[in-house]
Amino acid sequence: MARIELEQVAKSWGDVVAVEPTDLVIEDGEFVAILGPSGCGKSTTLFMLAGIYAPTGGEIRFDGHLVNRVEARDRNVGIVFQSYALYPHMTVAKNIRFPLKFKGVPADEAARRVSEAARLVHVEELLDRLPAEMSGGQQQRVALARALVKEPQLLLLDEPLSNLDATLRLTMRAEIRRLQRRLGVTTILVTHDQIEATTMADRVVCMSKGRIEQIGTADDLYQRPNKLFVASFIGAPPINLLDGRAERGTVRVGELTLPASGIEGAVVLGIRPEHLGLSAPGHGLAGRILTVEPLGRETLYEVATPLGSLRVLEAGSERRWREGDASGVTVPDEALLIFDKASERRLETASLALAEAA
Amino acid sequence: MSVTLPSLQRARPAPLRAQADWDALAKAGNRRRAIGQGLLMAFLVTVSVPILLPYFWMFTISVSARTGGVDSAVLWRSIGILVPAVLALGFLNLLTDRGMRRLYGAAGIVLIAGTALAWAIGPDLHLQNWAFLRDANFVENLSGRGAGTVEAQFPSVWTAFGNSLLLAGVQTFLVLSVATLAGYYLSRFNFQGRASFLQALLILHAFPAMTLIIPIFLLMHWTGLLDTLTGVILVIATLELPFAVFIMKGFFDAVPWDIEMQAIVDGASRRQAFAQVVFPQVKVGLLAVGVFSFIRGWEEYVFVRTLLFDKQNWTMSLYIFWVSEDIMGVDYGVVAAVGVFYVVPSILLYVFCQKYLVQMSLGGIKG
Repeated sequence: MARIELEQVAKSWGDVVAVEPTDLVIEDGEFVAILGPSGCGKSTTLFMLAGIYAPTGGEIRFDGHLVNRVEARDRNVGIVFQSYALYPHMTVAKNIRFPLKFKGVPADEAARRVSEAARLVHVEELLDRLPAEMSGGQQQRVALARALVKEPQLLLLDEPLSNLDATLRLTMRAEIRRLQRRLGVTTILVTHDQIEATTMADRVVCMSKGRIEQIGTADDLYQRPNKLFVASFIGAPPINLLDGRAERGTVRVGELTLPASGIEGAVVLGIRPEHLGLSAPGHGLAGRILTVEPLGRETLYEVATPLGSLRVLEAGSERRWREGDASGVTVPDEALLIFDKASERRLETASLALAEAA
Repeated sequence: MSVTLPSLQRARPAPLRAQADWDALAKAGNRRRAIGQGLLMAFLVTVSVPILLPYFWMFTISVSARTGGVDSAVLWRSIGILVPAVLALGFLNLLTDRGMRRLYGAAGIVLIAGTALAWAIGPDLHLQNWAFLRDANFVENLSGRGAGTVEAQFPSVWTAFGNSLLLAGVQTFLVLSVATLAGYYLSRFNFQGRASFLQALLILHAFPAMTLIIPIFLLMHWTGLLDTLTGVILVIATLELPFAVFIMKGFFDAVPWDIEMQAIVDGASRRQAFAQVVFPQVKVGLLAVGVFSFIRGWEEYVFVRTLLFDKQNWTMSLYIFWVSEDIMGVDYGVVAAVGVFYVVPSILLYVFCQKYLVQMSLGGIKG
């Protein structure tokens, strides 16, 4: 178990910057998710922690000890790749045992730990199989057992659930979470799936273009995104973004005028789909239903309005609107996210504070 | 797009035929499949005849030809029996699907064909042409035909066989060790001039080795390797290497980085990761390259002919050349027998490795 610190850690390949100087502290036993689109530098960060890539700048510390120059094999880190990276020519038992080979663990002790790790992830019955003879979910469990068998001080998960089908992903999500809690191992999960990140991790680190955009809990990122990128990346269905102007205590977006004091200039208005509502024509913005997507518990409408097409999420499976219907779109005064257009930072406005107070 | 889109929308699925037609359609499908299979079989049989016939002929000559003459009667008679037998086995396979019945049928056919063969060509068979296996001076001892030849003109065939085995084996070992290491390095590491190195490999392979024969001769002479197996081994291995390196690089490329990185995080050194994780994934490639370079060494003629003189250094290809050359009037029976003896190891190698050679096209790693 270890406390992980990154101080101004950076990685570039020649002129291509993969990770800009980054600061991050992960507490002992914490489960942190690094979330971002592909190419944002999240896997590079993970590989630097594992010792596969050497950082081109900054310091990585495990429990206060500088590990930049420590080789991967000596870092005592467990890793699970998206592809599981099981050794195809070894049985499950040999796969799990592989990391112990290099630690000089005595044979009976190794056998005990292998069967213990196998039991932990429920693959005791598969010990004699080859990776090719197992399903994706089983391979995933074996990879997890192999990462845990050496009792790592840091567990790294690189998109571990992406190759699983939807139901299995749900089960594994809960299982990995439970396992992490039980073992108390410091864990870093890299993923592009926001649900994975928000459901599994204590804290989520949102990255984009090699930079950390925001660090926080799932609620922080969803309700109080600091940056336009975070607001647009987190949330499914995605947030509605509208260009507008703030002047004299209001934000004007087309025909829409909303109260927002204390800000000036070009802004981007973000409205979550669930905060918009559909109403009879004549109320709110004039709209026409473009598409209807039943999601089970909710229904997602795409509505054409004078401001452009908006996503509206209505609770309940009963559908009052059909494609082509005319309707109104009501916009709330509160629950708006306003970003400065130039810096893409969120602006605190007086109106929001007022709305929260009321 | 603007043209095709409306027409797509207008197109409607053709109305399904009446239900009764399904049986007819199924029959038609079966018929077409049967005809297709039949045509395929006919094509494959036609193509394999010119490939198989020479080998078979060589074999029949080696066990039936008597002093000099070539007699095709044995060939035609045995073909007359074997072809119907093979066809009968094929039909048996088509008509029966149960194991035991198929086995009994096959045994019956083999028994009948064997009896017929024994009756038709049995009296013509003999092993005199194979005397070279026992007796190095077989030419002199062939009744009346050795006159004028010198004692101990030929080495024992086993010497030549051993030389060929040594040449092909050591050559293969050299090619495999260098190609594996070079292929791994080219696949995994970046270095100055890597791209041009790869291009140079291909150009080297495209270069006809024959044009180098005089410089190579001189080189061997100056280094004192002329008329030694070592020299020939080095020359052939060198000429084989560029292509082998290229193939091995391809196999290493197919091994995912993930498992190598995993091994390193799991505590292995780079060398241990190579030996225990990456190397086992390219065994198929190793086997394929090994088989091909062994065959290349086994069949080598031009360079052994040029660089080896002493008959104690003869390889099988030189032995068969001198056998056909030095017997007064070619003794086809002996040449065919030596030919069969020469070709059997290659065939055995292919038969045993066929499974893996086919996998070669699938490449690297599964699962």
